[in-house]
Amino acid sequence: MKFSLEWLSDYVDVAAVGGADGARRCLDQAGIPVESVSTAGEDVILDAEITPNRPDAMGHRGLAREIAAISGQSMRDPAARYAEPATQGDATEQLASIVIQVPRLCRRFGARLVRGIGPAPAPERVRRRLAAIGAKSISAGVDATNYVLWATSQPLHAFDFDKLAGGLLIIRKAQRGEKLVTLDGVQRVLEPSDVVVADAERAVSLAGIMGGMDTAVTASTKNVLLEAAWWDPVTVRKTARRLGMHTDASHRFERGADPEAIPDALAYAARLIVEAAGGTMAPGFLDAHGALLRVRKTALRLARLRLLSGDGRLNLDFAEDALRRLGFSTERRGKHLAVSIPLFRGDVRREDDLVEEVLRVYGYDRLPSRLPPAASPGGHKEPRRPIEERLADAAAAAGLFETVNYPFVDRDADESALGDWLRLTETALEPLAILNPLDASRHHLRATLIPGLLGAVSRNLRHGAPSVGLFEIGRAFGSKGESDRPESYESRRFAFALAGERRGHWSVPPQLRPADVFDAKGLVERLVAPWIPADEIVWKPAEIQAFTPRASAIAHTRAGEVLAVVGLLSESERERHGLDASVFAAEILVDALPVGGRPFVFEPFSSLPAITADLTFLQPRDLPWVKVEECVRGLGLADLESLRCVDRYEGEKVPPGFVKTTIRLTFRSAERTLSQDEVNREMHRLADELGRRLDVRFDG
Amino acid sequence: MDVTLPGRATRTGGLHPLTIVRRQIEGIFLRMGYSIADGPEVENDFHNFEALNFPPDHPARDSQDTLLLDRKAVSPLLLRTHTSPVQIREMRRHGAPLRILVPGRVYRKDEVDATHSPVFHQVEGLVVDKNISMADLKGTVSTFVEELFGKGTRTRFIPTFFPFVEPGVDVSMSCIFCKGAGCGKCKGSGWIEIMGAGMVHPRVLQGVAIDPEEFTGFAFGLGIDRVALLKYGFPDLRLLFEGDERFLRQFAGRT
Repeated sequence: MKFSLEWLSDYVDVAAVGGADGARRCLDQAGIPVESVSTAGEDVILDAEITPNRPDAMGHRGLAREIAAISGQSMRDPAARYAEPATQGDATEQLASIVIQVPRLCRRFGARLVRGIGPAPAPERVRRRLAAIGAKSISAGVDATNYVLWATSQPLHAFDFDKLAGGLLIIRKAQRGEKLVTLDGVQRVLEPSDVVVADAERAVSLAGIMGGMDTAVTASTKNVLLEAAWWDPVTVRKTARRLGMHTDASHRFERGADPEAIPDALAYAARLIVEAAGGTMAPGFLDAHGALLRVRKTALRLARLRLLSGDGRLNLDFAEDALRRLGFSTERRGKHLAVSIPLFRGDVRREDDLVEEVLRVYGYDRLPSRLPPAASPGGHKEPRRPIEERLADAAAAAGLFETVNYPFVDRDADESALGDWLRLTETALEPLAILNPLDASRHHLRATLIPGLLGAVSRNLRHGAPSVGLFEIGRAFGSKGESDRPESYESRRFAFALAGERRGHWSVPPQLRPADVFDAKGLVERLVAPWIPADEIVWKPAEIQAFTPRASAIAHTRAGEVLAVVGLLSESERERHGLDASVFAAEILVDALPVGGRPFVFEPFSSLPAITADLTFLQPRDLPWVKVEECVRGLGLADLESLRCVDRYEGEKVPPGFVKTTIRLTFRSAERTLSQDEVNREMHRLADELGRRLDVRFDG
Repeated sequence: MDVTLPGRATRTGGLHPLTIVRRQIEGIFLRMGYSIADGPEVENDFHNFEALNFPPDHPARDSQDTLLLDRKAVSPLLLRTHTSPVQIREMRRHGAPLRILVPGRVYRKDEVDATHSPVFHQVEGLVVDKNISMADLKGTVSTFVEELFGKGTRTRFIPTFFPFVEPGVDVSMSCIFCKGAGCGKCKGSGWIEIMGAGMVHPRVLQGVAIDPEEFTGFAFGLGIDRVALLKYGFPDLRLLFEGDERFLRQFAGRT
């Protein structure tokens, strides 16, 4: 909001404060930061940021009050320089009357009449100042209302009095469907929640927002009725929002106006009109009241002031002086002040607000600085934070880079190929949608992190990266939740995606094995190992459109809970992301990992030598490894320590549909050294049993 | 064997700069006895606004352009616009005294450009105890800023308005680029805005059944994205969200 230094000088001696720099320092301290300083002719313009709680400072007088309070200068009253202009003719109340039908929405409505004006423009001073702060000059009548708004922050409106039917102003709710063409030429269709000013026949102004076109002041206007009022902030805001309007008036009324400013504002504007365009003021002014706004009284205790500030040097003398400078009335009562809050400070309601007022004048720079005393033992982390941290550290150590993607997606385009995975995670039968999205084509919240990662992988490959590994930690969202538990709409996820060749290095042989799904699966196992060891994860083949069949799997916990998905991206999904290389992706449900990790107790180990033995057999391709493993372990082989699958071979000498598998068993006893014969006996038993129980052959 | 050939590197990965900065900030406050708390990104109007003393239909809500999810819920659902709702959740759950730090992702309806993003990250701090004052807030904030940006970085408080604190302040630090002399980065002022803070509003305390006569508290909040941008000197927030390895690689090995 722009302010003219010259205009501020009407109210406070700016030169004594130190000119623009001094004013800026005062306003910074007051909490009204000046964002820029520029010049307009001889004048200096301050662009100040005014928070929504300070409508009183949205005019030069209010801003000057802040400068005066901080600097210690006294306020000037420019009106005192002018004699009250002569009034003449019939009194205003004989010519017009006001009826307030909505006393809580219009607490006060004042009007003043100027008759017999000519078409002259506003005084040069008025036009210059308005131009300096970027406001347009229109006519003496309109400029007067604008000028007073920017001087006092009280919005006013000027009617062409002769166009008001019946000399009557009724403040009422609009009728449903009632129409009003506002000053901007737009026809507004009104609702009963809107408040209007009406004459005897129709609505003539949208209360607190904009006047009507039909009754506006024009070059031929002779008699002007000036209006100033107090409007209910919420009503003004709702109407302005619904109609997409935002005016200097609505901006102030939404934030709260000062009913006591009305008489002076009207007299000020009337005087400016008479000064420029001639005419005379009708004696008296109309002053209709709705429900009364009471002056609030609050105590400020010295103890509270010192407690909140932490400054024992503050005293009531200082507090009293500071509050008075800001326009509060105070009375000393022992260890506290009884404070009356002026109506223009609707933002100040309670004792702590008064503390802030005093401290603004005192200056925060002067407050002491210390650390709060040590509290009871802290330093805890919410339970899933350490899980996410370990996942991130392990993934980074495995060569992946962390990314952060926006969660805005289009379910149909981005996630439908992962629908089977979404169904398994039970979070997202329907996407959670944003009602007012930035981009209507991506108005859903992601239900999985995988598509975002694939997008990032694709971008990196297009930039020419030979290989890329990315991971992300974040939330996935679904519409299945309970509205009184917002947290039930989201779940925590960890996901990664890998693509491309190994990094080129002089020592890496060119025929290096390309990555496959077991690299990705192994990474999942390694990542979750602190909580669930690999041999406790149950893997099942996955049928998910986005992944290649037989090259994707779902991990479950032993209790049957879904833990993760991993897979090789299907060709169609690769095409959709413009990916040439093989891409592997996985997603882990962080919420499925047990908080606190797994209990750990030392296990004694044998120092005696082990004997290993391999067994090779031919098996049908579709006999899953888990069946073989289950069978071997089910035999209860004596002193078996471990079992591994060390080779799988398809090709020459292996019939189609079959695969040659080699398993390696390690035998070790805790009590004695095993003999080769013992192991051979167990291996023969193993071969016999495998051949009997499973469809395997040893003829290769 | 030519041992002057380059050694065989293991694959290097790395944490995202937002994670690195977040952990640095967390580390500073964990050492000061704060605990890390968490809350949902899907919130309701009650936690995000009402309990934080934002009345319905109040212009203070304009500054936090909200992405809405469900208007019809008893308390409308939205994407949280700040991490402050976690203050409410934690105070309701644990009462006072309390000393927490809340990092998290927040959302506002902002178009994407070099300095704006509809998704960004905040860290919120909250201390509620007996005899907590502005002086404690000043000391905490200045200690933090010196730990994060280096000894000698000064801080300045300017009054401002947030509905959930009273008094409310904007905290600036002396420009880390020109040491306060005035440069392009600080628009010649010598100061850079770094966080919002204030004393917890008594209405907020009353709303969570903490007696504001017995307990007082302070809260502060800052943007991690902005801190990362300041600390590492990259020019555009969008780099944080593009997943470009050429950007991410530069942070490999940092903690």
